[in-house]
Amino acid sequence: ACAFYSVDLYCNTFSCSRSYSVFLRTHGSTMWGIFSETEGAGAGDSPSLRQSVRKNLDFEPLSTTALILEQRPPNLPAKPAEEAEKHQQQYEEMVAQAKKRELKEAQKRKKQLEDRVKQEESIGNAALCWSQEILPNWTTTRSSKRVRELWWQGVPPSVRGRVWSLAIGNDLNITHDSGSSHADREASLELIKLDISRTFPSLCIFQKGGPYHDVLHSILGAYTCYRPDVGYMLTYFAAFEVFFEENLPKLFAHFKSNNLTPDIYLIDWIFTLYSKSLPLDVACRVWDVFCRDGEEFLFRTALGILRLYEDVLTHMDFIHNAQFLTRLPEHINTHTLFSSISAVSMSCRNGRWSQVLQALQKDPERASPVLKR
Amino acid sequence: MEAIWLYQFRLIVIGDSTVGKSCLIRRFTEGRFAQVSDPTVGVDFFSRLVEIEPGKRIKLQIWDTAGQERFRSITRAYYRNSVGGLLLFDITNRRSFQNVHEWLEEARSHVQPHSIVFLLVGHKCDLDAQRQVSQQEAEKLAAAYGMRYVETSARDAINVERAFTELTRDIFELVKRGDITIQEGWEGVKSGFVPNVVHSSEEVTKSDRRCLC
Repeated sequence: ACAFYSVDLYCNTFSCSRSYSVFLRTHGSTMWGIFSETEGAGAGDSPSLRQSVRKNLDFEPLSTTALILEQRPPNLPAKPAEEAEKHQQQYEEMVAQAKKRELKEAQKRKKQLEDRVKQEESIGNAALCWSQEILPNWTTTRSSKRVRELWWQGVPPSVRGRVWSLAIGNDLNITHDSGSSHADREASLELIKLDISRTFPSLCIFQKGGPYHDVLHSILGAYTCYRPDVGYMLTYFAAFEVFFEENLPKLFAHFKSNNLTPDIYLIDWIFTLYSKSLPLDVACRVWDVFCRDGEEFLFRTALGILRLYEDVLTHMDFIHNAQFLTRLPEHINTHTLFSSISAVSMSCRNGRWSQVLQALQKDPERASPVLKR
Repeated sequence: MEAIWLYQFRLIVIGDSTVGKSCLIRRFTEGRFAQVSDPTVGVDFFSRLVEIEPGKRIKLQIWDTAGQERFRSITRAYYRNSVGGLLLFDITNRRSFQNVHEWLEEARSHVQPHSIVFLLVGHKCDLDAQRQVSQQEAEKLAAAYGMRYVETSARDAINVERAFTELTRDIFELVKRGDITIQEGWEGVKSGFVPNVVHSSEEVTKSDRRCLC
């Protein structure tokens, strides 16, 4: 006995007041009411009706906004009073529920907006703080507790480039010239080509023809010239295992019993500085602190990732673990990851990271037995 | 209890970089071909079941290694625990064929005291117009090393199933004959009935398998 009209119909008639009034006149006698709680919107009283409709649009869910037939058309027997009351009640409940839902969603939207504004504000404040206070006094501020904390929270993109280049420095005195000339001389051009192709492949900016292809090419070329020794990773794996066992003994034991050695996932992560395994925004945050804390942070990040997924990892066998770790979930939340990393301790009974590493370098016999030949 | 798979074989896939190792494995395990693929860093992992006889399934655990020289020191460590291997070269790249010998030497010197059953694979056979290595030449080389030779194409899905299935069958025959045995501390072959099965000391010490590579 109820007739609902779709939003389309309603909007069409509403947008043109002429057709709207025609509509009302035609059906006036059948006691059409507007899907509305506001009383006094009598049929044919088009201005006040429109007003009430406007008012109701603030809370009414658009998808169910419609005209409703409260009583049966005159050619049919009238509804019993009881039934009419019941329908009225059902109708009111529906409206109340829809209102509630709409209100809830509006609140959620408001909260999201507030959060976004808050986040932008804090990025803005941090950017201001970085550019006006920290960067001009870099040498004195860089190791202060406050700056270190701000740094951990992520360097604002607007100052990121400057912070990174200050933190990294240029001990090798690389210039634009030395970059390209070394790259040209270097015989490992093929390798560099491959390295470039695996740098954020989905972003395409580093790929051939992309805006940063040539820049990255010459930087990598220069680097391989200066540091041909980089590649001795076995000691690092051994040091990593020391901290792994200390921080996550249960997972460490599980990996051990499955013969899952750190090289299986660490090469993938460390070799590319996480540019292959983490999304760009997360990787940037890792690089922020990598610039602050050095290579130690790359291994701390690795432990943070393992810690984050400890529960799932302890329930998987070798192949699933290996696949999971070399293809990390695409949506890693930066905040969750960083709180996991911050819970990783980089000092153990054998000392801090650098001390453990040094001890292992002096005594390579203690390096990972699996990889030793 | 019925096992899903009879044995698990660990296979290693080696060969020069860009010959198409990852593409071949992806075609085999995922059934698709990706035009663009990132170079492998270190090693990647895949697995698939293969039915060699009705009701007899083998689980293949495939280690996809990086072809680049710089990862060699790491990937070397992975030979020891593999029972089978696919040695790929690109039929349109003569250099990758010339390096086959070097790859075999490398494997041989790092697999002791075990051995690997190798299959020589001439990949990218869809690019016949750019061919730099003839089929006869490759077959001759394979025969000299006692290997089978198969030409495959991941792009056109040619012989991909055949390559993996034949290698799996060959290994299975050797396991059935007792030439290859399950050993503690060796990941090459595992039984599907009892994982990490510990055999008698007699079986453990029986490692005088003939060199198959």
